[in-house]
Amino acid sequence: MSSANARSAVGIRAEKLTKRYGGKAAVDDLSFTAEPGVITGFLGPNGAGKSTTMRMLFGLTTPTSGTITIGGRDIADLVDPARTIGALLDARAVHPHRTAFRHLLAFAQAAGLDRRRVHEVLELVGLADAGDRPAGEFSLGMNQRLGIATALLGDPGVLVLDEPLNGLDPEGIRWIRTLMRDLAREGRTILFSSHLMSEMELTADNLIVVGQGRLIAEASLDEFVRANTTQAISVRAQSPAELARALGEAGVTFTTRPDASFLIIGTDSGEVGRIAAAGGIALDELGRVRESLEDVFLRLTHDVTEYEGLPA
Amino acid sequence: MNVLRSEWTKLRSVRSTWIAALSAVAAGVALSVLGASDLLGTSASDLPAGWDPTTESLKGFLFAQLIIGMLGALSVTPEFGTGMIGTSLVFVPSRSRLLAAKATVVAAIGLVVSLVTTMLSFGVVQLMLKGARLPGAGLGDAGVARALISGTLYLTLVALLGVSIGALVRSATSSLALLVGALLLVPALGPGLPGALGDWFGKYWPITAGQAAYTAVPTDDMIAPGLGLFILAVAAAATIVASHVRFRVRDI
Repeated sequence: MSSANARSAVGIRAEKLTKRYGGKAAVDDLSFTAEPGVITGFLGPNGAGKSTTMRMLFGLTTPTSGTITIGGRDIADLVDPARTIGALLDARAVHPHRTAFRHLLAFAQAAGLDRRRVHEVLELVGLADAGDRPAGEFSLGMNQRLGIATALLGDPGVLVLDEPLNGLDPEGIRWIRTLMRDLAREGRTILFSSHLMSEMELTADNLIVVGQGRLIAEASLDEFVRANTTQAISVRAQSPAELARALGEAGVTFTTRPDASFLIIGTDSGEVGRIAAAGGIALDELGRVRESLEDVFLRLTHDVTEYEGLPA
Repeated sequence: MNVLRSEWTKLRSVRSTWIAALSAVAAGVALSVLGASDLLGTSASDLPAGWDPTTESLKGFLFAQLIIGMLGALSVTPEFGTGMIGTSLVFVPSRSRLLAAKATVVAAIGLVVSLVTTMLSFGVVQLMLKGARLPGAGLGDAGVARALISGTLYLTLVALLGVSIGALVRSATSSLALLVGALLLVPALGPGLPGALGDWFGKYWPITAGQAAYTAVPTDDMIAPGLGLFILAVAAAATIVASHVRFRVRDI
């Protein structure tokens, strides 16, 4: 893939972006940036305002206040939008009777691109053999690929993908992760949304976490993990009773887990190993465990998640 | 130019466009033939005064116009129905340019479909009249060429009306309901309203006015053909402006 546009990639910046429907804010005073060269994950539960934010970026929805810009410009002011920014907003947004090739051709023509480029992107997303099939016959996974192909048509420096991993099989998910990494490595700006933390953990460099339209966190994935997770040690001895006594004598507090292993917070694994060695206790297992990011995400968004069932 | 090519690709790459185009012609001609067939038994002397063999041969417009209007609406509504309009606006962020391109492409294909419907209806019915030894019309006769051109333009304007209605209501079903109302119900029921209101609908309702444009032998209670086409053109332009304004300000 050429990278002429990638070299001139610009970032995305939201400033105090707000969208109200009636009195209710779907997006509430949201500010963030997505920089070139990295994959920025836009994470939030369903209904957190991710899609609304992306739609405002493309001028499909007008902000109540605030701005969201591409390299400082409004989408309407871009000289060559298709070569600047590509979008996957809704994989199902295709005419069911139009073939994949014609679907892409229409957009290629709008952007003044050659029909060769249509064949290229079909090849790139693995739909080369499905180009003359109506998009209505596609599986959701194939529609996602067609959506990615549409986003890549103009070889843009900025890519905005709304839930691109939805409906993909494991092979497809791996494919799109690799693709996003490659595109970011070329210097492009990648902003992709998901409501699943597990997807972010493996893909994103930076995270923008939102809940109920508000920014909850904006950080690199590493910073986010360090700031929000607590390190714990899991240890399992052949004789749990002996280990419990040794730990107690050393003043280390622990909790017992169902598999008879102990969970220790606030002491590192080296220290636990020394205590065991001093008491001559044989260990089956000693390791660090991290609170899963999924748990962190649920904890962080818990306070602001509105669609959660009320406790009985 | 790029956007025009794009819209042409969109329109020609779905079956519904070709089905609509073919059925407009087929239904237009078939209904015209059907309308003229009950004349076959009559003799020339039984024909009413002011008999207009040109208008007589375009009776199929009654139904063809509905299909042509839907052809226009269907150039817009599926994009809203599927959400594809979002992608279209990513590639063409100017909503005015996008709508203008759609209207232009529909006008072009509408003109061709309208011309074929008009000429084929006219030709076939004239052959029938000739076979039945009834007075027909020839292209060289007074007002006939003008009526046929006006008929073609009338149907083309209805196609544009379809585009703007589609962009206004964003749904094929609602577009069909509005087209049936504007093209069939109001012209049929409007003149029955009491007093001046009924008179107005009988003459100036844009569709009724437009239909006056394709008569070769005008009657007294009818407005002048040129004025009729003008009123319809103004109404179509006004709907396009309205749909354009709404398309520009409303969230997708």
